[in-house]
Amino acid sequence: MNTQKQLLIIDDDPDFVAGIKSILEKAEYSIDVAYNPKDGFQALQSKPYDLLLLDIMMGRGAEGVAIARKLRKDPKLRELPVLIITGIREQIAFLFPGQPVHPHFVELDELVEKPVEPKLLLEKVSALLKMAEEKKSQKKA
Amino acid sequence: MAKKFKILIIDDEEVVLDSCTLILAGGNYQLATAKNGNLGLELTKEFQPDLVYVDLKMPGISGLEVLERIRELDPNIVTIVITGYATVSSAVEAMKNGAYDFLPKPFTPDEFRLITQRGLDRRKLVLETIALRREKEMLRENFAAIVSHELKAPLGVVQQNLYGLEYELEDRLTEEQKEKIGQMKSKINDLINLIHTWLRVISVDVKKLQENFKPTLIPIVISKAVEIVQPQAIRKNIEIVPSVQEPLNFVNGDEGTLVEVVVNILGNGIKFSREGSRILIKAEEKNKVLAITVSDSGIGISKEDLPYIFEDFYTGDTGQIVEKSSGLGLAISKRIVEAHNGSISVESELGKGSTFTVCLPVQ
Repeated sequence: MNTQKQLLIIDDDPDFVAGIKSILEKAEYSIDVAYNPKDGFQALQSKPYDLLLLDIMMGRGAEGVAIARKLRKDPKLRELPVLIITGIREQIAFLFPGQPVHPHFVELDELVEKPVEPKLLLEKVSALLKMAEEKKSQKKA
Repeated sequence: MAKKFKILIIDDEEVVLDSCTLILAGGNYQLATAKNGNLGLELTKEFQPDLVYVDLKMPGISGLEVLERIRELDPNIVTIVITGYATVSSAVEAMKNGAYDFLPKPFTPDEFRLITQRGLDRRKLVLETIALRREKEMLRENFAAIVSHELKAPLGVVQQNLYGLEYELEDRLTEEQKEKIGQMKSKINDLINLIHTWLRVISVDVKKLQENFKPTLIPIVISKAVEIVQPQAIRKNIEIVPSVQEPLNFVNGDEGTLVEVVVNILGNGIKFSREGSRILIKAEEKNKVLAITVSDSGIGISKEDLPYIFEDFYTGDTGQIVEKSSGLGLAISKRIVEAHNGSISVESELGKGSTFTVCLPVQ
């Protein structure tokens, strides 16, 4: 049996987190949550995660972006796949109607809009996990 | 305390400057005088007057030119001409060029005070208008912030938890219960979409848009827009017929927002057309202007509604049952088209259909 995947959510809105956490837990993922960027970054350094779900608009502005930048600079965390969850649709919706957007903050990332339907959320999570694993095995080989 | 208004008098006759100064002395004014046009213009920049008197007949640069230059400096300064010769024709010409009033020489102190008061009243109105316009802009921006933070985020949370709840209870819900959740989800979705449309109106930033202008091909804009609205059209069995009259030049613009304009117009056409009808979209170029025309044979727009359809939140009273609309699509479109130095117009007849025309300058 596969070991359970460890996911971290960084989002400053606990009520929103409750709505995605229950979906992910039902799908047998193990979930940790950090409710601010600082705790989030500490959690990332304290134990290895398989995937990060990151809110972009936190605190005074796009503090999530700052985390993504920090990740990119960190040699260990650089390979962590990130699913960016954002409410700033008005800036992206019309440019890419109905299409996934790859922000490329980090090597492996995807973007979904708040609120996100369970099916889409789980698809993105498992696709990112799969890609990360393939990358890892390529490196070993 | 009432604002102390600044008055500048430009006249080559010293006796006029002196008598004007005397007449206004003791009033709640700040006064400055200049002996000729050049000095007057210098002072206009430094002193920043509310009201300027300009003698039309002066040696050096003419009064009319001074007026024009003041208008270039600040069109909100109220100008009054002093005209020496007994003819009004030069005063009329000055007023055509933006002067607010004229003062015929010779004048009595009362006449001068009266005309000054009228001029300052005018200035007060101008300043109030500017303040109101600024306030409206601020309201628009604050509204954006309020809508986005106070409404959108909680709605997103409600929807997300509804998703979560439905997913958790998937195996236990009856068909009827699933239907109820489905209805809730769809209503919340409508609300979220409405908020997005509002935010869209507020966030069309003309300057930012213009920074990203690139040579854009209108046939591509049209085909992308048609592709986006196609599902809506198919649902109502409406055929969209594009025709492009080549050759067309590039338009300097932003493809994404131009697509949005065409989507809005086509979307309206579909909304207000009967099932099984056709919508024609045409692009042609004439005299350096590229025109995109969208004609439908739908319910049309009444004469009373026509002047308002490009305003925010306007939805016409069609008297017929049609899909609801936010009343913002055309307002956004107008703003986008104007950012492209273009124009948008409409002709319509009730019961026969509407034709929207977007005109864009080509390179």
